[in-house]
Amino acid sequence: MGYAAARGGLKAIEAAERLVARERVLGDSPWLESKQMIEKLRLAVDRVMGEGGLWDEHLAASALRQAEGDPIEAAHLLRSYRSTLPRLAYTTPVDVDDLVVLRRIVPAFRNPPGPQLLGRTTDYTGRLLDTNDETTQRTTAEKMAAFLEESATTTNGFGDDSEREGDRRPRRLLDLLRDLDAVVDRRRVDDPEPFDITRHAARPPASRSARLATMARAETGALVNVWYRNILGPDGYLHEITLGEVRHGRLPVTVVHPLTGHEISIGEVRVTEVEAIEDLNGIDEDRGRFDVGYGLCFGHNEKKAIAMANLDIACERDRGRSFLEQSILLTTDGLDASGFLEHLKLPHYVTFRSMMERKAAIRQHQDHS
Amino acid sequence: MDRNRRTELLARADADQVRLLAETFLSHRNVADELDIINPPEVGMVMMQVREPVCKERFHLGEVVVTRAEVAVAGLRGWAMRTGADRETALAAALLDACAEHDTEFANDVHSLCEITASHLAADERREWDELRATAVSFEELD
Repeated sequence: MGYAAARGGLKAIEAAERLVARERVLGDSPWLESKQMIEKLRLAVDRVMGEGGLWDEHLAASALRQAEGDPIEAAHLLRSYRSTLPRLAYTTPVDVDDLVVLRRIVPAFRNPPGPQLLGRTTDYTGRLLDTNDETTQRTTAEKMAAFLEESATTTNGFGDDSEREGDRRPRRLLDLLRDLDAVVDRRRVDDPEPFDITRHAARPPASRSARLATMARAETGALVNVWYRNILGPDGYLHEITLGEVRHGRLPVTVVHPLTGHEISIGEVRVTEVEAIEDLNGIDEDRGRFDVGYGLCFGHNEKKAIAMANLDIACERDRGRSFLEQSILLTTDGLDASGFLEHLKLPHYVTFRSMMERKAAIRQHQDHS
Repeated sequence: MDRNRRTELLARADADQVRLLAETFLSHRNVADELDIINPPEVGMVMMQVREPVCKERFHLGEVVVTRAEVAVAGLRGWAMRTGADRETALAAALLDACAEHDTEFANDVHSLCEITASHLAADERREWDELRATAVSFEELD
């Protein structure tokens, strides 16, 4: 990258920062509380944690406020903060079957093992902009809350604790497909050490753990774009994908207690999990069975987890024949992409003057010849 | 209540309650005099490893901000790790853990706090489920 830095401008830079701070911190409206953002802008906060690769709702909310609502900039701030922290431990491997569902749908199957729970969603509601004032919106929300309270006390069918336990951690559709011998079995007997993308850059050909970690931290829009291009874009692929599981829920954070040596849970994170069922139709594939891709990311971000699961299985089938893996590993990180893009705004006077001189020299050469 | 469960519940207990109880214990002269901070509270991260269901492979989901601390009271060690960046509460939780090892009366107070925490967590989960089950759905297939 040809780039020469410039000097000076300190007073102007400080004045520019003061303009931002005055409007962001003061302005004409009250201070934007972190709690408010975690409650009312939760999807933005969740997205920042996912793309920052760091779970802490309060820090993510602070980053979002400092970034004036720009999620990529907020993820950048979170990653910068992360680089100042020591890594104290690794969790023990958390089995995703321990996920306690807050939402679980199975688009592929009407009667999967366990219930389908819509949870907190507006997926099935028309996208109409609510232009009512605060009082009207509050009145409507209060009526809805009262209805929720009433229906919660009258709903039957999942009553006792044992039933609830099973319904909060329902069996996977994948397990049912395995029982029916309808899915290829790729379960490994070895246990390879996961690739650490925070310590080394993942480059093709990469292990699956490197791809999954990269996508879990990827910028949502970038990952959706790679998925969209892959599924029906100019690369000419057409995948027939059906979603198995779409889950949002709570996953325990488990570490080894240093004094007892036992595994303990010190808290929970919320994650979104997706299984994508792929129809195998290649000449070298088991056409009598399906295969499954997997997506998991911090927070509630179904677009990202769906794209991830689809791209996981697409990479598996592609086996390095196209640029797909390279695209995922090298172009979906929000910090990488936006950092490069943002730097273009810095003074490039020397670079451009050199380019101008080259053009002049070429023209001069053309005139002479 | 065994020590592992106690550490789990002190990690989830209300921060104000943890600090309040620790301050009460510190007002006992023998606790303040015999307190030794082995590892001061430190904010850091734990890398979350998950095992996915398709190939049963592990991968790194991302890191979680935590604070940990370790103390000893009369030579008996107490350890705590809580999610989030809160040094004071992590130190207080480690102190409660050590005090529970040190003295039966302290242990009773710590276990009461843990039981209250467990009961709140269970109530939250029941309430969450009561709301969630109203959204259970069975879509009909069109012929």
